[in-house]
Amino acid sequence: MKIKVLIAAAALIFIAGIAGSIFVLCSPSKTIVNIKRDGEVLYSLDLSKEENRSFVIEYGDSSNTVEIKDGKIRVCAAECPDKTCVHTGWLKSSAMPIVCLPNHLIIEFADENSDIDALAE
Amino acid sequence: MKPKRLAELAVLTAVSLIIFIIELQIPNPFPIPGVKLGLANIITVYAVYHYKAYETAMIVTVRLILGSVFGGNVSALIYSTAGSALCLIGMLLLRRVIDERHIWLSSVFGAVLHNTGQMAAALLVTQTLGLIAYYPFLLVSGCLAGLFTGLCAQLLIPRIRKIKK
Repeated sequence: MKIKVLIAAAALIFIAGIAGSIFVLCSPSKTIVNIKRDGEVLYSLDLSKEENRSFVIEYGDSSNTVEIKDGKIRVCAAECPDKTCVHTGWLKSSAMPIVCLPNHLIIEFADENSDIDALAE
Repeated sequence: MKPKRLAELAVLTAVSLIIFIIELQIPNPFPIPGVKLGLANIITVYAVYHYKAYETAMIVTVRLILGSVFGGNVSALIYSTAGSALCLIGMLLLRRVIDERHIWLSSVFGAVLHNTGQMAAALLVTQTLGLIAYYPFLLVSGCLAGLFTGLCAQLLIPRIRKIKK
């Protein structure tokens, strides 16, 4: 009896996971992008105004190269061991940031409100 | 601890380390941090049901430390330690409820707990709430990977029993 309850719980977790994944993938993209490390904003960029360019963000001995092209942003090269941030590709969903855990680097779309605050400062 | 027991634990640790390193060579098609099969956990699942709690913890701790050294990804040790600790505690508790015939179910919960621990550690380290977006993917991958490793462990149990006779 207990087993059945637990199997149902596992199935529920699985379904919740799928529903959450669909929600994340369907979140629309925005134009303001924040590049953060450990909760601190390093860069705040407006992709609709940025020219095509790439720049390097250093972290100790390691680094990530960020590329901006046609209003899109991605990490095109990294010195971290797993390269997850490079494989993530272009930043698409506002709910799913590009993450480089070894270098503590996060690239995500900013909320419109918090961005106004940043401009006012 | 008897020498025979110690030798068994050492063999299990070595086997899980070998599986871990072989798995590193398989390219990961999913660009999401934390998503992987976790084949080495076949040994963890087996050990949870056949050894004492502290013996299983010894296997997992040695695997984690040596695995991160051999894998060359020491910075990921925080995440894998948090995940493994939560997974181990959860599975040791589940052992009281779930019998050995349903070991796959225990493994599924273990994998989900592992991902939860990783996520909690990542949130604490990076201080970015946006990371939560990865959690649903981790849940799905955790369920599937846990099911797979659990079924592998289920196949393994009668075979190890035969060897031990």
